[in-house]
Amino acid sequence: MIRIELAKQTRRPRTLLTLGALAAFSVALTIALAASGAGSLERVGDVPLLIAPSHSGFSIPVIALSSTMKFFLPLAVAIFAGESVAGKDGWGSLRYALTRPVSRSRYLFSKLIVALLFSLAAVVLVPLSALVVGTIAFGWHPFTAIDASASTALHTSVITFSPGPALGRLAISTAYVAAGMHSSFALSFLLSTLTTRPFAAVAGGVGLTIVSRVLNADYLPGVAVVNRYMPNNDVDLWQHLFQRPAQTSGMAHFLLLQLAYVAIALSIAWWWFTRKDILT
Amino acid sequence: MGASAPPVLIEGLTKHLRGGVIAVDGLDLVVEPGQVVGLAGPNGAGKSVTLKIMLGLVRPTSGRVELFGEPVRPGAEALGRVGALVDGPGFVPHLTGLENLRLAWKMTRCDERAAGLEEAVALAGLREAIDRRYRTYSHGMRYRLALAQALLGSPDLLLLDEPTTGLDPAHVLEVRHAISECAGRGTTVVLSSHVLTEVEEVCTHAAIMSAGRLVASGEVSELIGEHASLAEAYLSLVGRNGAGPLA
Repeated sequence: MIRIELAKQTRRPRTLLTLGALAAFSVALTIALAASGAGSLERVGDVPLLIAPSHSGFSIPVIALSSTMKFFLPLAVAIFAGESVAGKDGWGSLRYALTRPVSRSRYLFSKLIVALLFSLAAVVLVPLSALVVGTIAFGWHPFTAIDASASTALHTSVITFSPGPALGRLAISTAYVAAGMHSSFALSFLLSTLTTRPFAAVAGGVGLTIVSRVLNADYLPGVAVVNRYMPNNDVDLWQHLFQRPAQTSGMAHFLLLQLAYVAIALSIAWWWFTRKDILT
Repeated sequence: MGASAPPVLIEGLTKHLRGGVIAVDGLDLVVEPGQVVGLAGPNGAGKSVTLKIMLGLVRPTSGRVELFGEPVRPGAEALGRVGALVDGPGFVPHLTGLENLRLAWKMTRCDERAAGLEEAVALAGLREAIDRRYRTYSHGMRYRLALAQALLGSPDLLLLDEPTTGLDPAHVLEVRHAISECAGRGTTVVLSSHVLTEVEEVCTHAAIMSAGRLVASGEVSELIGEHASLAEAYLSLVGRNGAGPLA
């Protein structure tokens, strides 16, 4: 079942376009930074880290991950999850798949796994392509940044990671961002089982991200009560891994929150899909 | 699952849809092996919903539906003996006709040699176009590919919902010929149609539905009786108000 779904999705123009656009973003980002001289300091995140892109190829994946984690990646993940069931419904192939002697649970599981694989590929593709292009443009050098939160007027806190540790932190950061996409993924997947319109399912996942960003106590202190339950607000905590010492405060809560969203949304999706009438 | 169980057994089937609409109302129907049964009636008579319940796509509100003696539920083993065309074609647009058929067959987890791909494609008249992407197919070609999919693996039971909708006259004749050919090989066929001349021409038996209820059933010749055609017999049974587009 999973192989059949993979065969259908791998050659789908929208799949290739989405992944291609994410890879192209890294290339465009590198070209833009190189064209701008790349010697100036770029501010990354709320930490903030100040990075001079031209010092190391490792700068590009850090900047690329920061730039995409709040909209482009949730959008890509929502596309893969939202299209998974509703897209087939739109083609009409869903009803034929469900007339086969295959349980709906098994069918839904295969959809889930394939959508998940493409979503993970999307998240990994951004830092990976950025690292490749960044290394070509700026070389395989130690990653250097200024930790502005630890710097004063008299002291500049410069952090340097040799390529090995920088790669390790980048891998953990990518895994963290990938985990942080799961709430959008799960909501889009749920909506994909509820509607026959893929766009609505995609919009739901992206909408959750937007609502989460709006109800962010960092910018709107009055919403502090709900801030803890907003699924996208702490997706940028990975940037603290590039401080010395690495800060992990809040990361466990964020990951547990993702787990809660996934458990609730996927349970409802399974419950509904195994009972729904396929009337169209 | 009894060896002598009929291909289709329906008892007291009722389906209520949202908004209080009763799509099927206490339907009883038995289809014996080798019969070609036409579910006839106007649009909204409950034919398509009945077929979808038989395929496990829709859950009945009450009643019993069995295929080859096995109660129908989503993913039932008996569905492996069924070929279906329901609510028109449904394929992956960026794959070729052949790739779509192969993937559809893989869902059955049976050996590809048992699919009879070439035969199904030939019966559907798609040999020359089978390697083209589905999105380039005309309306008629899409229907014929759907028919080819239904014929994969020479199923024991064919469930066809309005199989000639939108086809030009030449392809209507081809599809009817293909159905008759399957029936000639012993395949049991249930097809829904609001075109009563089609039911009269293709089917050995008919079940006439109106407003979700079974109005009459039996051999087509018996139902026609003294009338000139099945359409006239239908009108005498349900009147013009329930007639719909009679051919």
